[in-house]
Amino acid sequence: MNTAISISGLKALLPFLIMTAAAMVVMLGIAFRRDHRFTVLLTLAGLALGGGSLVFTPFAPDRYVTTLVLVDAFAGYYLALLFAAAFAVVCLSYSYLEIQGGHREEYYLLVLLAVLGAAVLAAATHFASFFLGIEILSVSLYGLTAYQRHRDQSVEAGVKYLILAAVSSAFILFGMALVYAEVGSMEFARIAIRAGAAGGALLGTGLVLIIVGLGFKLAVVPFHLWTPDVYEGAPAPVTAFIATVSKGAVFALVLRFFGNMDIRVGGALFLIFTIIAVASMFFGNLLALMQQNVKRVLAYSSISHIGYLLVTLLAAGPLRLNASAFYLAAYFVTTLGVFGVVTVLSTRDRDADKLDDYRGLAWRRPWLAGVFTAMLLSLAGIPLTAGFIAKFYLVAAGIGSALWLLVIVLIVNSAIGLFYYLRIIGAVYSMDGPPGPSMPISLSGSAALGGLTLALLWLGIYPGPFLALIGSLMQTAH
Amino acid sequence: MIHQIIFLYFATVILVSALLMITRRNPIHSVLFMLLLFFHIAGLFVLLNAEFLAAVQLIVYAGAILILYLFVVMLLNVDQERQSVRANRFWPWVAAFGVLIAGEILLLISRSTFPGDAGKTMATPGAGVMELGQALYTQYLVPFEIASVILLVGLIGAVMLAKKAVKE
Repeated sequence: MNTAISISGLKALLPFLIMTAAAMVVMLGIAFRRDHRFTVLLTLAGLALGGGSLVFTPFAPDRYVTTLVLVDAFAGYYLALLFAAAFAVVCLSYSYLEIQGGHREEYYLLVLLAVLGAAVLAAATHFASFFLGIEILSVSLYGLTAYQRHRDQSVEAGVKYLILAAVSSAFILFGMALVYAEVGSMEFARIAIRAGAAGGALLGTGLVLIIVGLGFKLAVVPFHLWTPDVYEGAPAPVTAFIATVSKGAVFALVLRFFGNMDIRVGGALFLIFTIIAVASMFFGNLLALMQQNVKRVLAYSSISHIGYLLVTLLAAGPLRLNASAFYLAAYFVTTLGVFGVVTVLSTRDRDADKLDDYRGLAWRRPWLAGVFTAMLLSLAGIPLTAGFIAKFYLVAAGIGSALWLLVIVLIVNSAIGLFYYLRIIGAVYSMDGPPGPSMPISLSGSAALGGLTLALLWLGIYPGPFLALIGSLMQTAH
Repeated sequence: MIHQIIFLYFATVILVSALLMITRRNPIHSVLFMLLLFFHIAGLFVLLNAEFLAAVQLIVYAGAILILYLFVVMLLNVDQERQSVRANRFWPWVAAFGVLIAGEILLLISRSTFPGDAGKTMATPGAGVMELGQALYTQYLVPFEIASVILLVGLIGAVMLAKKAVKE
């Protein structure tokens, strides 16, 4: 394996180089002209360019750039997903920040850099790139979470996120050190070989510590305690970003890191992931039942969704990568849609996170209520939405590997989940809401929501082409 | 034998100064114990034939970062931590859990073999700077560049959070 970077290696790094360059251009742009719309357009152009460059990036199953980054079709798919999600978040942020006063331009710098960190994670095959990706993503999110300094809740969420993310990084680092002490290599492929062939006690301890750290980032039970507070306190578009881009990138890394390992039925890793998955599904859904705040409900619901996703990690066979790829795409679209509605309904003083804000929404804003209902039904997994097809594939992958316990827990929890989603929908269609629309929805917000709704219906009603695309991409990945 | 005695000296001082660092109420004392800690960690690096890392440890951690800490402590004028209750009713549980996990890790480590046990050394004496530079600018060029982005992110975040609010 060549250790130096060649021209073709640089070509493979094109999306990363473009994202870094975009952050520089936006920073200089702010220095020359401090204008909200101008900055947003530059950011969107950078993201579009980064996404467009994926077409020219030479993806190959063995396209390693040094030993640290693997730019294969798997990474390409997740890069595209992350860029698209960030594009939607920026559109929503524009409508959200436009009604807030003060300097708003630095926000987009942090978003661009966070996307760079997420992209590095999706392509990482080495502890060094893994850790640097996690850190770039987390450090940007500290700033984004606390962006509204004048709101106590936002600052509280930022501090909580800072402390817990730093602690989880310490866990990951110590785990990496122990794994390195036994394996003598930081490359995922070599670690996977050693982990498969009766790894020693150091390796096991290291892997468990890494799971703890990654569990914090993914917000799975029992590492989920920060989630509701951060979801509630962070500005609504930032919450959407944490729920989609951050978790999606970390999950791509989990698939890459643990996916190569031989997680046998009955082994220690299998047991750990099963317990985490089952606990996340039950705790997420049961605690969501008790919440009155919409953002907190969505926080607990996201915990259970990551629990569902872990089924694909435990399943065997080629279908599992397709299932997780499709589930994440559907989850991205729906989560961005739900938080998009929360975003456009938020006012200058506070986010629209009370259940009362949605009471009678259908009679004031029928279109918005329709979008909101569709997104919630998709989260619940009702037929004709993307969420149903995604859950169907998850169950199929689970049954294909005879993971009966996980499949049964998944189905029971889907039924529990339906209850609290329907409660929100019930409030949307109740007759006793406050009268009259308050303010018009911005163009960028409605454009983003419209695009997301189209994507939701397309994935739900006619998923064939997209599934075929995922199939062809993931076939070359493993 | 002499090697082991030196190692034991450094390890003991590291543990003791780390404990003192987190238990002192006066932040200045904590920082000074941290300085002691950093010096002895540099000593461990020398024992492992990693002279360059030892120098970096002294220059970056003891020299730069610690001085920054001292400045912040003095500028904020927090010479005495507010006399608040440190332990609440949960602390026995937390402590028991910590001891349990630490014991578990120690047990696992005592039972496993390290690659170094086979007589392999981690680095050869006298070498270091050149190998490090070559690795950093060939194989690890990508993370080296990415690491600079982290500094940028920290900078932007700090400026954004600290700047004055503008009036409309």
